[in-house]
Amino acid sequence: MGDPAGISLRRVSKSFEARGKLTEALREVNLACAPGSFTALIGPSGCGKSTILRLALGLETASGGEIAVAGKPPAEATGGGITGVAFQDAALLPWRSVEANVALPLDVLGRDRKPYRDKIAELIELVGLAGYEHALPAELSGGMRQRVAIARALVTRPEVLFLDEPFGALDQILRRQMNIELQRIWMESRATTLLVTHGIDEAVFLADRVVVMASRPGRITRVIDIDLPRPRRPELFNDPAFHRLEAEIAGALDGH
Amino acid sequence: MPSRLRPFVGPLLILVLWEIAGRFGLVASGALPAPSAILARLAVDWSDYPGHIFATLFGAGLGFLIGNGIAIAAGVLFALYPVTSRVARGLNVALFALPPIAISPILVLTFSDPVPRVVLAAIGCYFVTMTATLVGLTQADARSVDVVRAYGGGRFKVLALVQARIALPVILSGLRIAAPNAVLGSILAEFGGGGRWGLGVYLLGSLGRGEPDRLWGIGLVATLIAGLAYLAFVVLARAVTGSSQAVTVPTSVLRSTDRPRPAWQQGLIVLASIALPLALWWALLAVLKVPAMLAKTPPALYDYLFGLPGSPATQAKLVAALAQTLPMTLLGMVAGLAIAFVLALGTQLTPRLIRALLPVALVTQTMPLVALTPLLVLLVGRGPAVILWVTISVTFFPAFVTMAQGLLLVPRAALELPRAYGATVWQQLRLVSVPASLPYLFAATRLTAPRALLGVMIAEWLATGTGLGNLLNQSRGYLDYGMIWAVAVLSVLVSVAFYQAVVLVERRVLGRLGMAVAE
Ligand SMILES: Nc1ncnc2c1ncn2[C@@H]1O[C@H](COP(=O)(O)OP(=O)(O)OP(=O)(O)O)[C@@H](O)[C@H]1O
Ligand SMILES: [Mg+2]
Repeated sequence: MGDPAGISLRRVSKSFEARGKLTEALREVNLACAPGSFTALIGPSGCGKSTILRLALGLETASGGEIAVAGKPPAEATGGGITGVAFQDAALLPWRSVEANVALPLDVLGRDRKPYRDKIAELIELVGLAGYEHALPAELSGGMRQRVAIARALVTRPEVLFLDEPFGALDQILRRQMNIELQRIWMESRATTLLVTHGIDEAVFLADRVVVMASRPGRITRVIDIDLPRPRRPELFNDPAFHRLEAEIAGALDGH
Repeated sequence: MPSRLRPFVGPLLILVLWEIAGRFGLVASGALPAPSAILARLAVDWSDYPGHIFATLFGAGLGFLIGNGIAIAAGVLFALYPVTSRVARGLNVALFALPPIAISPILVLTFSDPVPRVVLAAIGCYFVTMTATLVGLTQADARSVDVVRAYGGGRFKVLALVQARIALPVILSGLRIAAPNAVLGSILAEFGGGGRWGLGVYLLGSLGRGEPDRLWGIGLVATLIAGLAYLAFVVLARAVTGSSQAVTVPTSVLRSTDRPRPAWQQGLIVLASIALPLALWWALLAVLKVPAMLAKTPPALYDYLFGLPGSPATQAKLVAALAQTLPMTLLGMVAGLAIAFVLALGTQLTPRLIRALLPVALVTQTMPLVALTPLLVLLVGRGPAVILWVTISVTFFPAFVTMAQGLLLVPRAALELPRAYGATVWQQLRLVSVPASLPYLFAATRLTAPRALLGVMIAEWLATGTGLGNLLNQSRGYLDYGMIWAVAVLSVLVSVAFYQAVVLVERRVLGRLGMAVAE
């Protein structure tokens, strides 16, 4: 612990009790993300990926183990404004315009919006929504809403970024574009990033390290390092080395 | 025919038929005067109205402000600190279940003029608005709440940024129901007797004189006032909720956030919640220095019921009255709920129906039921049938609004999914609308149970001369304070017991289906 902006989970367990039934969502999970690293979390549906993120954000309390974000307990780290998050679902506030939704974290943290005006405009442009600043979420498609959520995640210039399948609702072409953009943003900001994804190609393309999980109970089964040079270019998707890594992860997911 | 005129055809036809029936005295041998005759009478009586209207409106308005102010503050408190809502539960249920007519004589005998009106109007608003506030505040989409919490936002940030805005339309729909309630409360206070001004006084004064056209005129004016109050909040709600429909499918409602507590704390909370209304009853009498002859404290009432030589006779009277009142209450309530449920489901099939129905519901149902009762007496006589009619009328409206509103919250995607698989309208109803409406059906049942009792008691008081309503009216006449208090407390207890029974069934059913209770 004590990393400047890393993420560390030590022997973290989490069980849910719902309607008298106990679900063991996570058992003894150990995960350490070095400051400035990019980690992808991949695993079957229901294996506890979102739960790891929610624990690290202080939205749930662990049944056991220790969690630190930038060396602090989750609640302290998020309240300090050093984290950013985009959930599996866009979760926009329906009465706020695109611009105001992007600015929501600033309102929560009690920061003045003014100094961020350029940043907000830049982010909206970055996710390809220029011209929609004043649109309401109801007027956007599912993919557009998800892109607003990504812009929102970046507005505080986070040092630690949590992304829960942020591109799940996008089409393949847009998804590739957003992957390339995300890499660029990450290389500029060097935010410690934890990305949950179902896309093996996305994981290999973006991450330094792919963490493979299995379910029932949720646990980490393998960690695969991705030693591909950066910046990674779109051509990489067709590279034999890339395909070998994809095959290795697919194998790990199947339990090999 | 131009389609713009089509909505007016129905009402116009009714009006024409009504005119004919009135002209020739076809209904209940002249009990239904023609609209033209009612208007003519209104014009003649017009100079009487301003004073009565002002007295009723003044009490209703002041009570509306005070009652809703307290209600919203309480709703916010309960949402922020769930434990307070558990402690206040007994008080809330008692205030909610209390049939205003039961305490009207007590208030009038204890306080001078505007106070009884204001108190009953405020009580009429409190529970509706408090519940709306709490439901609105806690129904926030859990995912939106998560975004705020993920940036370290605490309960006040969540309240300010997410919950308040989501609660606004719900609170407005609560105020919409509270507004006619305030008018009703103000009029009911006039039943206690003694006053010179107010639509209720005017109505009671005209009831004995057998002038149907005047009674109808007063009824229409009272309805118009209540209807306008309702309409004001419809307009306001439309202006506010215009563009804030939920966009994504909310899959989760915030769970009751009070943490699990050890058994001794649970017990303490339950005890406190039962003790609070009793303590308040006692404390109010002490603080206001009400003479002991008028005001019965809990022990004094116990003495009256069980400790005096006359106690067995008192008990027998109460039991006999209860045996007349209870079956009618149940019957009327079930019928009112059933009609409301079917019509609410109908609005799912043809949204146009809700637009066509609401005005009708308004005219017949916003009509303060006290004004309605004399008219129903004229139409159907003083037999038990009038009790049923009054009870159905008072339960239908709030039940319909609750369920139709609840069904409006069913996400479009959920409605369209079965359709996408070629489901028929009936399948869609069975698969989505009926299950989705269950929590609201229960909420409506909780809401209407006490109103049904109120309706029965009013009809008994004014028309049939049976049951608890009549016992209350008689005791008022004899200045039998003990009996007045006994009937008041008994009515509240019956109402509370009924409410609790509904809650128990609701928890079991919804719990088994994994649905949240719309508290
Ligand atoms: N609030 C909750 N109450 C009860 N069980 C829960 C709750 N949240 C998650 N779970 C359970 O915990 C397990 C892990 O859930 P989680 O959402 O972390 O999965 P996931 O890996 O993100 O899945 P997906 O890829 O489908 O998003 C699941 O079995 C789920 O049923
Ligand atoms: Mg997930």
